[in-house]
Amino acid sequence: MKLHAPVWHNQAILTETEFVLQGRLGELKRLAAETAKFCREHSLGDEVEFDLNLALEELFTNSVSHGGCAGMENAVQVRLQLLEDGVYAEYSDRGRPFDPLTAPEPHLDARLEERSAGGLGVHLVRQIMRDLEYRRAGDWNRITMRRPC
Amino acid sequence: MIQLTQETRSGWCVVNVRGRADGETADELESALRAALEQHSKVAADLGALDYISSAGLRAVLQAARAAEGKNAEFAVCALSAPVKKVFDMSGMRHVLRIHGELPC
Repeated sequence: MKLHAPVWHNQAILTETEFVLQGRLGELKRLAAETAKFCREHSLGDEVEFDLNLALEELFTNSVSHGGCAGMENAVQVRLQLLEDGVYAEYSDRGRPFDPLTAPEPHLDARLEERSAGGLGVHLVRQIMRDLEYRRAGDWNRITMRRPC
Repeated sequence: MIQLTQETRSGWCVVNVRGRADGETADELESALRAALEQHSKVAADLGALDYISSAGLRAVLQAARAAEGKNAEFAVCALSAPVKKVFDMSGMRHVLRIHGELPC
């Protein structure tokens, strides 16, 4: 099922949540708490909560550490919505225009000394989430994705 | 939040890792593992009480493994819970780490 933007703005939909994060890693606690609350309210299991938390954290740490969001107020906006075929997540940041989905895949079979740390976060997002799409919307980088459940 | 404690079991220095290894706590984890490796030649990270790990936490473990290799110390990761193991597997960590179901001690 395709996500249409107006759905996000319909406050009557009770299966939706939205939160804003400041551009600092200390916000990871709130990201985890908000994700847990959403999953609890919708009786989604621990595995779904873990996966959503992980995908959102990877995008968030990229935004703060590499995307120009460090120290920025209201740097990131997250929307979560439960539909029949899974949880739809929309992740937006106000950092530099950048499509993380174009990042090269890491070499997972490389030996320890050759192994680079880069790209692992986005790799995990790709493993967990489906239907990943990026677009630049005004001042925002916006990624939409789905966790089947 | 992450809690790190150290103990000795059968000749291994075991670092017990509890809580979450994420972008905020990864540095703390790496420091604790490096500190253990500075004093011991056999170090195991017991992840049995680790609820969550992200790529930042994996990076901390990889850095510790590199430090161990640099000084010819033994480094093992043990007792991974199912969700944490899934992240290790998705990241190909089995190629580069000594991973045990049980503690090596």
